[in-house]
Amino acid sequence: MKVLISGAAGRLAHMVADLLKAEGDEVVGLDVRPLPFGRTFPGTFHQVKRYDQRGVAEVFRRHRPEGFIHLGIRAATARARRRYTQNVLGTRKLLDYCRRYEVKRVVAMSTFHVYGAHQHNPVNIREDAPLRATMTFPELQDIVDLDHTVSTFLWRNRDDVNTVLLRPVNIVGPRLQNQMSRLLRSRRCPRLLGFNPLMQFLHEDDAGKAIVMAMKGEAFGVYNVAGEGAVPFLEAIRLAGGRPLAVPHILAYPIGGFLARRGRMPPAHLIDYFRYAVLIDDKAFRDDFGFEPRYNTVETLHWAGTRSR
Amino acid sequence: MARFFRRLRGSPFTDEQMEALRKSTAVNSAGYDPWGLNLETAERSVRFMRYVYEDYFRVRTFGIDRVPQGRVMLVPNHAGQLPLDGMLITLAMMLEAKPPRIVRGMVERFFPTLPFIGTWFIRCGQVVGDPRNCEELLERDQTIMVFPEGVRGSGKLYNKRYQLQSFGTGFVRLALETRTPIVPVGVVGSEETYPGIYNPAFLARMMGVPYVPVTPFFPLLGVAGALPLPVQIDLHFGKPIFFDDGDPDEPEEVTCARVEQVKQALDGLLEEGLAQRPNLSRGKR
Repeated sequence: MKVLISGAAGRLAHMVADLLKAEGDEVVGLDVRPLPFGRTFPGTFHQVKRYDQRGVAEVFRRHRPEGFIHLGIRAATARARRRYTQNVLGTRKLLDYCRRYEVKRVVAMSTFHVYGAHQHNPVNIREDAPLRATMTFPELQDIVDLDHTVSTFLWRNRDDVNTVLLRPVNIVGPRLQNQMSRLLRSRRCPRLLGFNPLMQFLHEDDAGKAIVMAMKGEAFGVYNVAGEGAVPFLEAIRLAGGRPLAVPHILAYPIGGFLARRGRMPPAHLIDYFRYAVLIDDKAFRDDFGFEPRYNTVETLHWAGTRSR
Repeated sequence: MARFFRRLRGSPFTDEQMEALRKSTAVNSAGYDPWGLNLETAERSVRFMRYVYEDYFRVRTFGIDRVPQGRVMLVPNHAGQLPLDGMLITLAMMLEAKPPRIVRGMVERFFPTLPFIGTWFIRCGQVVGDPRNCEELLERDQTIMVFPEGVRGSGKLYNKRYQLQSFGTGFVRLALETRTPIVPVGVVGSEETYPGIYNPAFLARMMGVPYVPVTPFFPLLGVAGALPLPVQIDLHFGKPIFFDDGDPDEPEEVTCARVEQVKQALDGLLEEGLAQRPNLSRGKR
């Protein structure tokens, strides 16, 4: 099977590519970023300017992939405009090409952020819950829009393309450069004074495994993906070996934007995820794909706290 | 004094009781259940909260053994501005029920927004009042506590004391759906802890809270005025009400009749409880 992976310059994509390669699949990489210095992609790698650019069609035409894994999502920490261009417009175009060039199976990544950090959230949020992320923070519009884009595509083209939309919890690991992993690796990890919500974590290897399983599986639809259990954030920081730094929430919102640029703190529109629990129910994914995380929460956080290279 | 510290040090639960609690609440390997309950935190809280329960409010319980085992829904009257009544029922179920049980109170939705207190409530087993939460907890055979009056009850002023406000109907539908017995709990004395005399609605709107309790002492006397008055509180547990014949999709009139039945039972408990306390009275109807 030939699989095209967007966001291929990232670590997670790399892990997924390695896993697929090990199973005897051919992988093609696509990214707007160049490959980091010293890293080789286990397959052909194409750098494009934007995902909604015409050059992307050429990649589809030349390789005629049967599977497409969309990992080229700009993180919620990036600037809003860039996120919108890439996550919404880029995704639309890529899905368009998938339909046009007869891709059989698509796996796209959304995030648990779409459910929104809201004090009204029940626990064990299922996939059919309302996506409340934009209720309090319109800055998160791009991920909700991405989610809707993919799920509309999923149902409209379900006869031709099998699409799996994954909504994973915080993916953490020593090799990842995402916000949560960086926070857990940092020596002083900011937390909100007086708030200590339960959080779920997924080890990077498990995330890679889940994506490959979604690619190889039969079922399609929207799925939550979570790790073994939930721990309070303060406990998570301790398990990762960091020291918590308590920030009053009244202060956190205004200074968040400033420190977020340097990766020291989540931006203001993500602070509520450190204030209210957003716990998702991953039963459907476990049942339909037979997914079972290899690392439990304690191991996951231990690994997240270690620095690699 | 020695007695004071001895009680603070000693756990209110034996090891077997703690083990039974752990089993009944199904906490995960890290010690938390999905709603954020942590038994160790709950136990430590009971250690000092029992002073409030035993010495400050001198709580008496009546008929606590009427609460059936397994899933159950406690339905008390709500009064006294702060959810002290809920706290005391929770403590009663932990300290006096055999075996001790963790009550999962359905708290007002703005509670999680408060720092410290919100987290503490959650660790002690309180849950945001969402029907999904309620249903899932009952499916796990937990003891839940619902205040069908909501803020209508707790925010009412002193002149309406012991007058039940209008009930929501959601709790009866949930009980029907999950086949849960309802136990009405008449709380006598809670109305006098914070005798509200005025509710400045504009201030509450401005602060984003349901109501602002103005009592003869608060905010006039500042922090001291914010202390609840030390009224003795009686908890009257009623006979469990079973709605075995019901259907969760029945028309609203039928459900309303059932709600009325619970309300009547609760009113009867209050009547009975007030008869024992000649110096407390009902407000005008």
